[in-house]
Amino acid sequence: MSSPLDKPQIISHFQKSLNYTVFDSKWIPCSAKFVCLGNYARGTGVMQIYEVQQGEAQLIKEQEFPKPIKCGTFGATSLQQRHLATGDFGGNLNIWNLEVSGTPVFSVKAHKEIINSIDGVGGLGIGDGAPEIVTGSRDGTVKVWDTRQKDSPVANMEPGEGETKRDCWTVALGHAFNDQDRCVCAGYDNGDIKLFDLRNMSLRWETNIKNGVCCVEFDRKDINMNKLVATSLEGKFHVFDMRTQHPTKGFSSVSEKAHKSTIWQVKHLPQNRDIFMTAGGAGNLHLWKYEYPSQRSKTDSDDLAVGVAGSVTLLQNATLSTQPIASLDWSPDKKGLCVCSGFDQTVRVLIVTKLSQV
Amino acid sequence: MPLIVTDYSWTQTDSKVFISVPLKGARAERVDFLSTEEYLKVHYPPYLFEAFLSEPVDEDRSTAKVGNGVAVITLTKCSNAFWEHLVITTYDKEKKKEVRERALLKYQERLCSESRSKAEKQQAEKKYALETMMKLEKEERDRILKRKEDEREKTTAELAAWQLRQRETAEGEAKLKLQDQRDRQNKLKAPTEKQEKGCSNGAKVKLDERGNSEAKSQKTPALLPTPRRSANIQVRFTPRVFPTALRESRVPEEEEWLQKQAEARRAGNADVEELKDLREEERNPEWLKDKGDKCFASGDFLGAVNAYNLAIRLHSKIPALHSNRAACHLKLKNLHKAIEDASQALDLLTPAVPANAAARARASVRRGSAFCQLQLYAEGLQDYQAALKLDPHNAALQADTQTIRDILQGSATGTH
Repeated sequence: MSSPLDKPQIISHFQKSLNYTVFDSKWIPCSAKFVCLGNYARGTGVMQIYEVQQGEAQLIKEQEFPKPIKCGTFGATSLQQRHLATGDFGGNLNIWNLEVSGTPVFSVKAHKEIINSIDGVGGLGIGDGAPEIVTGSRDGTVKVWDTRQKDSPVANMEPGEGETKRDCWTVALGHAFNDQDRCVCAGYDNGDIKLFDLRNMSLRWETNIKNGVCCVEFDRKDINMNKLVATSLEGKFHVFDMRTQHPTKGFSSVSEKAHKSTIWQVKHLPQNRDIFMTAGGAGNLHLWKYEYPSQRSKTDSDDLAVGVAGSVTLLQNATLSTQPIASLDWSPDKKGLCVCSGFDQTVRVLIVTKLSQV
Repeated sequence: MPLIVTDYSWTQTDSKVFISVPLKGARAERVDFLSTEEYLKVHYPPYLFEAFLSEPVDEDRSTAKVGNGVAVITLTKCSNAFWEHLVITTYDKEKKKEVRERALLKYQERLCSESRSKAEKQQAEKKYALETMMKLEKEERDRILKRKEDEREKTTAELAAWQLRQRETAEGEAKLKLQDQRDRQNKLKAPTEKQEKGCSNGAKVKLDERGNSEAKSQKTPALLPTPRRSANIQVRFTPRVFPTALRESRVPEEEEWLQKQAEARRAGNADVEELKDLREEERNPEWLKDKGDKCFASGDFLGAVNAYNLAIRLHSKIPALHSNRAACHLKLKNLHKAIEDASQALDLLTPAVPANAAARARASVRRGSAFCQLQLYAEGLQDYQAALKLDPHNAALQADTQTIRDILQGSATGTH
């Protein structure tokens, strides 16, 4: 029987208390710096860049914005440029060069209401094809942007005329294994998950998981889509096996109830696509491992292939605070290093050990 | 009265005195000894043996053995002298009493101190045991902590090392870049020089140039594909029986409403005498309602009322019938009947859920207009406002509400 110390441990390397509400924190690729996005109590947005030095975070740069910033991503920039794409409370999508403060490199009023979630693909050497940014907003639309085309989005997923609109809470890009293919997955507040195929510009699959979807993520963006994890309110998350799509049943899934509260975030380890961490509303983190079934697909009664979902095991959990942990990001350069920020106005850098032995 | 034992015997050595007291049949447990340095008492009811010792003895080192019908008491002398007598017999009663009391007191004291020392010893031992336990546990905890700390330090060291490596590679790259730039500049100068010299090195120069351009093309990123052709994708959100997300739904009330509707449909009151000869379809409330609607649409209000009457007699719980009958009565100017029907419809339309909002709005409007036609404008306004709350975007409704308000204000100012 393995002793408890053989499991991966979630160790808090250090934490930094901030004087503003922080919504998102992301590692700057190929560096030991991370950026925190949030808003001051006076209603303006803030972006701070910290560097990890000798077990502490040193503030390197700070910039204030007219509107609070909700989310950001480095997914669509090249490794040399490392521009940050942010979405703010006013529905503006801006791309910033972190070395230069002042005007953004690209700016567009993407939505009428707050941009809840943003994701990018095609940059950082991940994914083939043109770099694209997808934004999901409270006005119910999901838009895909290409920085070379400023006035209109490359793709726009909007509710039809006269339809009631539901808030889009989360978006994720995936299936970017060649120049043409892309998939956008969007989660809404009524539990809808919709998968859009950008090559055919159509809705590929949709389902409803009853509770509002807080976060969706593909396990890897740059491969033929393999797994999708969707987390929701009331402590449930679903892992969909995306390799086999049945015409009526869609993708098969396994669901797990954990955290006893909203699961705010899920992030896969960049170095191992079967390990992911979920962050919950009670300030706790759970580290999970997905195990594939012996056969990933089987034929059902109509001789159509239907996928078989595997199982999820809990590797470790840790409680870091009493307030929800709203954002989580693994470092793409160092395995096991992650930064997380919560609504208790602290940002923490964690080290997860023994991930190579899992 | 205790019986004094006198048939005892005693012997002595230099250091010890042995007294043998016959037990006269008493059991061993019942023998009680009391000894101090000058007084000895052996008590086994009803017998009593006491001795006022002539010399002091060391009571701590004295022992008593009980067995075989005798008690053998071994007293250790304080001073190794030969005793002439065992006991002093010259004591008078007073003296004896004194000695006894003294002895008793001393004995008691001794017992007390013994028990005290025993208690203290126990305490000390307990404390020691506790301390050792705590020490062991602390060691265990420290061990685990140490392991965690080690892990942490190891990863911190790795992190620092990795950062260092990053910096070094960054520097290395920067140097390489500079080097490259310088090389390129040199190479640009070189061909011009070499061309002056002659074509013998021409081939070599060309090779160099090609090598350079290859390196350059590796540096420039691959050309990106053109942006996608824009398109719109229309989405529809999941319909539910009640179009609210689970977190917003008022499920219990909605269930209630559904149940009520189902009940209303089922409850058919078809036992009434006159209705026995009705045709099958005339019993169906849906069919009757349809008939009533058609009559209403074609202007035959009395016919519509008849149809609704029959339907209500059969199924009194369907709110739509009451509401429609109210509309008919309105057209026929039977205002009181209209108000009754509309009120009944509104009663049946509880609980208030989004699904029956439209029906509730209609019933409210009908009742409101009936009130207004009876010139009860205040009640009418109430109903119209309720309807407006359910259907805020209806322009006609808003206009009507405004007219009623004006009339009310007009009549109010008129009376002044």
